[in-house]
Amino acid sequence: MDLDGLKEKWLEQDRKLDETIRLNRQLLIAAKMNGVRSPLQRFFFLVSLGASIGLIILVILGRFIHAHWAEPRFALPAMVLQVWVIASLAASIRQMAMALQIDYDKPIAAIQKQIESLRVLRIRITQWALLTGQVVWWTPFLIVALKGFWYVDAYQVFGTALLSANLAVGLAIIPLAIWVSKRFGDRMGRSPVMRRLMRELAGYNMNAATDFLATLSKFENETRD
Amino acid sequence: MTTPNLQGTFQNEVEQHKKILYKVCNAYCRDRDSREDLAQEIMFQLWRSYGKFDGRCQFSTWMYRIALNVAISFYRSEGARTRLVISDEQHLLGAVDKEERQPEEVRVLHEFIAELDPLCKALILLYLDGNTYQEIADIVGITETNVATKISRLKNKMKQEFSGIKQV
Repeated sequence: MDLDGLKEKWLEQDRKLDETIRLNRQLLIAAKMNGVRSPLQRFFFLVSLGASIGLIILVILGRFIHAHWAEPRFALPAMVLQVWVIASLAASIRQMAMALQIDYDKPIAAIQKQIESLRVLRIRITQWALLTGQVVWWTPFLIVALKGFWYVDAYQVFGTALLSANLAVGLAIIPLAIWVSKRFGDRMGRSPVMRRLMRELAGYNMNAATDFLATLSKFENETRD
Repeated sequence: MTTPNLQGTFQNEVEQHKKILYKVCNAYCRDRDSREDLAQEIMFQLWRSYGKFDGRCQFSTWMYRIALNVAISFYRSEGARTRLVISDEQHLLGAVDKEERQPEEVRVLHEFIAELDPLCKALILLYLDGNTYQEIADIVGITETNVATKISRLKNKMKQEFSGIKQV
């Protein structure tokens, strides 16, 4: 079979398409107005929401640190949380800036590179947030939240040994989470979001994204050999 | 141009070039629901970018760029999608599923396209639609020489894969 021969058949079929395709005007109007549906819009909305929450947390933590500046056992865990939130916020801003630059009416190779680079960044941030989160979400959060909201001293209630053990467990969860996601990721839950999270933690989606970036570079640079 | 005028012009332009939407959706999606999702996403993105369309290129070139960019991203994404459904009987593109009307050769061609990677799918669609190498290069964002090389490879691949099938 010859592609040029088939091209004639294709164009012949193409001429008939105008008669056979019906564009639903009612849905056309609804689809073009329904902005929330766009994946990039959704992504932008979620990242903005995360950034706004991050800003609020940043202010609360700032006030906590200021109030407990003379008590390092409370100020230090709050500072750890603060650094984590600042890093998350910076990551969100970077993602939003990248998403804003994506303009679908530009040439395919360039836009696909931008989209895939954004995907790589998002996966790295998800991995980083989930894994480092195991250290900051449990012990430092517990210490700060108990003191900040209920004026309870976690060191007195749980004891330093238990809090240290908790921190150690958080650290141990990091390699365990990577192993579990690699070993059982595909079988965990039917939710596409959960599956995607597991694949991202295991690094599979990152491999796919970097492979596609390499394919795009090859596609752009290839010439007759 | 006022918004109602802009909407009217947009709808007329899309109506005139609805074949592009149909062919891109068909090339990148195998089932009807996915095609409907993709058609809606393309439509939204076209409308979103329409205000910036300055007429420096043909509407069809512009529409191809957006449709193919959205289709490739759609093809590669894994997320859950929410579709705008008015009723089960209503679809944005009415004839998307009427493949039984196609001649055998065109059906085989669709099968060949379905097996290609998303970037080569874009190239072959543009080539089959009669775009010149220069036009394809502008839409895809690679050099004309590169387009020629890839099209030549696709022709060879097609010859090899279908060497056993009857001549057209």
